[in-house]
Amino acid sequence: MYLNEYKHVHGLTSSNDHVMEKWLEREINLARNIQTKLLNGSIPSIRDAEIQGISIPARLIGGDYYDFYPLENDKVRIVIGDVMGKGIPAAMLMILTRGAFRSAAESTKGPAETLTAMNKALCQDLRLLKSFVTLFCADWNPITNVLTYASAGHNMPLLVKGKEKKVMELPKALGIMVGAFTDHVYEEKRVELEENDTVFFYTDGIVEAENKDREQFKRERLINTLLQHLDKNVDEIGKHVVEAIHTFTEGVPQKDDITMVILKVNKKSDMTKTNFSFISSKE
Amino acid sequence: MTLAVQREYSNGTVVLKIKGILDISTAHLFETYIQEIEDIEELIVDFSNLEFIDSTGIGAIMEVIYLSKEKQFLIKLRGINQQIYDILETVGLFKVLEAVQGEVV
Repeated sequence: MYLNEYKHVHGLTSSNDHVMEKWLEREINLARNIQTKLLNGSIPSIRDAEIQGISIPARLIGGDYYDFYPLENDKVRIVIGDVMGKGIPAAMLMILTRGAFRSAAESTKGPAETLTAMNKALCQDLRLLKSFVTLFCADWNPITNVLTYASAGHNMPLLVKGKEKKVMELPKALGIMVGAFTDHVYEEKRVELEENDTVFFYTDGIVEAENKDREQFKRERLINTLLQHLDKNVDEIGKHVVEAIHTFTEGVPQKDDITMVILKVNKKSDMTKTNFSFISSKE
Repeated sequence: MTLAVQREYSNGTVVLKIKGILDISTAHLFETYIQEIEDIEELIVDFSNLEFIDSTGIGAIMEVIYLSKEKQFLIKLRGINQQIYDILETVGLFKVLEAVQGEVV
């Protein structure tokens, strides 16, 4: 899902600039359309788990990114990222990042290797543009129930333990942002998930969302929301998180892009059947 | 919200005290101070009165780090509160600083 309710471009006011403003608005809407379509690609329907992704840019287009890539043996590769900055410049680099992920996901064996390859591909351009990207990449294996992951300067996702009804951060995987050193090698961690466990991947726009008193939403409110809705499916969890942020911010304009990917482990199905297909994303 | 930068200079050391918010709307102001850096031995960036930093602000600090290699000066980051420290640690800024400063003779 890629949500946005803004419809106007602000700024230019003189009558001569009006035509330019119209062109600009049209081009930004076209750019937004490209980004929305690419981000809304397809959400994999995987065995014994559900996945959903939601992204709400602070401006017409944004620099947050998430993606899924199907792998052999029913595995799926998940990536979430945050490009430095906001708006059109960040959106352009987000498209670059997407290309690097799609290409690296095809040719690499695990999430750490994917991030290492993406960094190698993007580093020179990012340095030239004085920018960087934080990324978190994970492979979900529905057969072993193992989530393997690596981080390039991105915050650790939250793990909601369905049985114990508690939330914890995934054990830290260290790694610097993409765009600093070309030859940086990322480390990999793994965690075994159980039925009804949920992994909540997110960008900092969620915990840094501010209300009119300039208080931040913070991780504690996010954790409480996740605990409150841990029995729900991924679509409902996503909607409740967005709703909790909106309720908290009380209409204060969003400052940063907000993005989340939710992975929930379901009951084990009959292992003799393989059921891997793609379904259209839901708006 | 704004950013105020106070500059102090003595014996080859420049101290930049940053106050307020270092984000997409203020990073350019910080960068103007950075562009003026010439012939110094050490730069101290004092975060004591910094309330918030976003990714563009982090990018501005990264540029200072890269500049230190080009212009051969040492950098110290001082007075960082816990919240900002956690953000900088997560993105790996301290590791970049350590690696780049290792190349400053």
